[in-house]
Amino acid sequence: MTTDTIVAPATAAGEAALAVVRVSGPMVPELVQSVFKKPSSPRKVSLGSYTAQDGHILDSLVYVVYANGKSYTGEDLLELNPHGNPWLVRKILDDLLERGCRLAEPGEFTRRAFLNGKLDLSQAEAVAQVIQARSDRALEAARRQLSGSVGKTVNRLVDSLLHITASLEAYIDFPEEDLPDEDSSGPAQSLRDLIKEMDHLIATRKFSSLLHDGVKCVILGEPNVGKSSLLNALTGEDRVIVSAEPGTTRDYVEERIHIGPYLLRIIDTAGLHEAASSIEEQGINRSLEQIESADLLLVVLDSTRPAPTLPDSVLKALQDHQALVVENKIDLDSSADHANFAPACPHVRISASTHKGLDELRSTIRTSLEEGLLIPDESAVIVSARHAAALEVAKQALRICLDKLRQAAPVELAAADLREAIDAMGEITGKIDNEAMLDRLFNNFCIGK
Amino acid sequence: MLDTFDTIVCGAGHAGCEAALAAARMGARTLLLTGNIDTIAQMSCNPAIGGLAKGHMVCEIDALGGEMATNTDLTAIQFRLLNASKGPAVQACRAQCDKKAYQFRLKHTLELTPNLSVFQSVVTGLVFKNGAVTGVQTQLGIDFKAKTVIVTTGTFLRALMHVGTNKSEGGRMGDFSAKTLSHSFTEAGIELSRLKTGTPCRLLGSSIDFSKLSPQHGDPLPALFGFYDTRSDQPMFHVEHGKRIFSDSFDKAMFHVEHNGQKRIGWHPGKEQVPCWEAHTTAKTHQIINDNLGKSALYGGEISGTGPRYCPSIEDKIVRFCDKPEHKLFIEPEGRNTDEWYINGLSTSLPFDVQIDMIQSIPGLENAHMLRPAYAVEYDFAQPTQLFASLESKKVENLFFAGQINGTSGYEEAAAQGLVAGINAVLKTRNQNPVIIGRESAYIGVLIDDLVTKGTTEPYRMFTSRAEHRLLFNHGSAETRLLPFIEGHNLVPEDRLKRIQAKRDSIERWIDKLERETRSGGTWGDFIRREGDPSELPQAFKDLSESVQNEVLYRVRYKGYLDRELRTIAKLAKTDKMRIPQDFDYSAVKGLRAESAQKLAEVRPATLGQASRISGVNPTDITILMIALGCK
Repeated sequence: MTTDTIVAPATAAGEAALAVVRVSGPMVPELVQSVFKKPSSPRKVSLGSYTAQDGHILDSLVYVVYANGKSYTGEDLLELNPHGNPWLVRKILDDLLERGCRLAEPGEFTRRAFLNGKLDLSQAEAVAQVIQARSDRALEAARRQLSGSVGKTVNRLVDSLLHITASLEAYIDFPEEDLPDEDSSGPAQSLRDLIKEMDHLIATRKFSSLLHDGVKCVILGEPNVGKSSLLNALTGEDRVIVSAEPGTTRDYVEERIHIGPYLLRIIDTAGLHEAASSIEEQGINRSLEQIESADLLLVVLDSTRPAPTLPDSVLKALQDHQALVVENKIDLDSSADHANFAPACPHVRISASTHKGLDELRSTIRTSLEEGLLIPDESAVIVSARHAAALEVAKQALRICLDKLRQAAPVELAAADLREAIDAMGEITGKIDNEAMLDRLFNNFCIGK
Repeated sequence: MLDTFDTIVCGAGHAGCEAALAAARMGARTLLLTGNIDTIAQMSCNPAIGGLAKGHMVCEIDALGGEMATNTDLTAIQFRLLNASKGPAVQACRAQCDKKAYQFRLKHTLELTPNLSVFQSVVTGLVFKNGAVTGVQTQLGIDFKAKTVIVTTGTFLRALMHVGTNKSEGGRMGDFSAKTLSHSFTEAGIELSRLKTGTPCRLLGSSIDFSKLSPQHGDPLPALFGFYDTRSDQPMFHVEHGKRIFSDSFDKAMFHVEHNGQKRIGWHPGKEQVPCWEAHTTAKTHQIINDNLGKSALYGGEISGTGPRYCPSIEDKIVRFCDKPEHKLFIEPEGRNTDEWYINGLSTSLPFDVQIDMIQSIPGLENAHMLRPAYAVEYDFAQPTQLFASLESKKVENLFFAGQINGTSGYEEAAAQGLVAGINAVLKTRNQNPVIIGRESAYIGVLIDDLVTKGTTEPYRMFTSRAEHRLLFNHGSAETRLLPFIEGHNLVPEDRLKRIQAKRDSIERWIDKLERETRSGGTWGDFIRREGDPSELPQAFKDLSESVQNEVLYRVRYKGYLDRELRTIAKLAKTDKMRIPQDFDYSAVKGLRAESAQKLAEVRPATLGQASRISGVNPTDITILMIALGCK
């Protein structure tokens, strides 16, 4: 029987009405209990609140549980249908990984289905096609990534790992050779350095979605301050209906633009004010949701009017997020300076209709992204979720290994942990053959009598 | 003599001897052919058996009913336990043997074994019929027929020796070269390649100034390779063993006594172990080597075969590690009744005169007389990916390969393969499934899986690091670990089999008991893992044999790590069980990358697990393959 529980999104990344996340393995029943706070009832469509491990409710969603032996994979299977927001999907994945699942390898759900005898012969051919398409893409993506800076960095990590292993293995396999005195402090220091580097690398994971899916930038403000005009000015299209009547944008509108090398998803929201109609109220609630999940907030003020009083929830969001204040309509005579509004945030004065100050806004947004979100430049190394998961496993094994070296436990035990780390790194680079370690060993130590 | 046998073994080195003994003990009519009966089981290189991973394999050979362990234990003149300060899994025995005694005892064992005929004649060719081997031809013009043939020709196929630029034909100094047999293989479609190995010079002891060297003594209490608690034929000892395997009441001055009620001839054991001696090279040695690099067969381009990374020549060591001021050498005795000494660490293909200069630049060896110079040898080997895991050829039915012809190095590696080939050659004659020892079960399994899955580009030597699950491969577990492979094959006497089974049961029972029964502060298992005082353990436990106690303590103390290994193995077991037909068409599998398909077609793995260990084949390929196999 398989002992681990795997998870993967079954739908493509990107904005959509719904996404599908599948979880397969023995942990499913207990996951359902702890996530939805109710026992799983197989093959029933259930609605529940997804509660993350830290107690936050991530989404209200529909899910289906399939019992062991009666699912696609033949194992306990959970299908989650969260809203199709890549950030939300990622948060759910993160949470499931934290709870002890691991990311599925390409085609692994089908592999399990096959192993558990759930695929009949007529289906097999069709499935092979599907897997082929999927894995070729995955492989292609992996190849592309591995030929670049990620590959170089990961290969360097693997190299140090093999080097450390070789320096322990030499003393296990060649006790009679003329080796320098055995001293675990060298390998221990290398391990500490390696763990630190892995930590940095794992932390770059969040940038992978920032760069891939785009930085979510939400425009908010009172009605009729020119939010939609700003969006149109930034995109250079009259995409959004602009009118002088407050509350024209009842739902929200999304556009993609590039600022420098960055992709931004700019979301124009309904104006924040006391709702006049129930339709508007819904719009405002949805604005708040958008604000919560934003990477960057653009708060638009009307410089011809007094600074607004925004709802507490919005003010709090301003503190928690990277935010810019955009003072609009400076082309009008009655414009005034609102420097005292949210003074911690950078202010940019513009006119969405004459495009005055727009270049400054663009460069301020870019600075904010680079400094505030710490998006590294193009040449920097950014790992994907799959890489990060493998690195995380490797790092844990190295931590244990380091402990063993510190406790002066038998060195073959530390070596067993190193092997686990090497196997985990193999998930990124492809299987790392023991020959590679032996090469290091014979290059570094004079072995041979 | 018969002219038709069940199994013929060609070559009586370490692989051939184990193959022939295993076959004969299983009841097969067996013929062992050798070019020279006086060189049976010769240690062509250093006079030692064991060491890390190799020593482990010797224990495994003993557990499978092979001869190497007892033969070493009974002819060794020095015993050492290596890595005594590390954990049990990576401790290993090493013994210096009396070379002649080792040969004579093994030769006599062959002579005493029922169903086994030994005959001296060089095998010149094989006889094939319909893609299968049916017999062998010999130099004397005498042909033999057999249902299966095992080839254990070592370094003798088209063997060429080098001393500097001097070349001579032969698989070992003083011996012949098998010049025609290679042709039989290529004719049958078996591809051959070249490898290179070497051996250092031998010196005369009376010309060595031992006062300038430091001695390296054996352990006072020898660690033995064989398992003697499960054998019935006590006493079985020789004098150097001290108290280890015979009782105090026995007269130590007595001649040595052996099992099977047979008194063996051939050598007179001594009373004390014989030490090795440590010497070292000097700046002058290095200068001499550097000045003469061009004359080395290796550096002069005379040798095309690939030599081993782990056993570089002295010229290689000096070039690659040039900042090392000196290299350690071990001077090892070749036997009790000879004054010939083996110079460990001084493999070279430099010419004779340079060798003399080099030797005399070493403190203690200033006046040394060289009995035999160092030389390198090049020989044909058959890439072992051309074999099934049973060691039967994929190209020629009923033909088995073992030992150096498969690209390995070392007496132990050869013996291990010989034993497995012997067993499987007999099983083949009986239409029974072969014994396949997995890489999760033993070093022998790792050895064979590596060979048939990956092949080799240098003489393959076993290292413990090659075994993913080496923590499970401690010496003490070999008998119980390999029990499933010997049951039903008559590889060990019935009474020993029963004792091994009883030993296994006792170990399991005690592990269970210690993990269940509590004392203050937890179970006995917890107590052991906290490194509690062993004298507090239950009396009934302390009354058990030392080997059972040690094994139980190991399994309990390292439970966490061992369980992790077992979990990993269980995870992989599924793919290892999924068989791939030998005629499977990889090129027809949609979605399989061309390079993977090519590699798979070359190796033709027997199982999906084996396929997954081929370098360059990735998990996606395996998934696609799995689905494709399901379609069949």
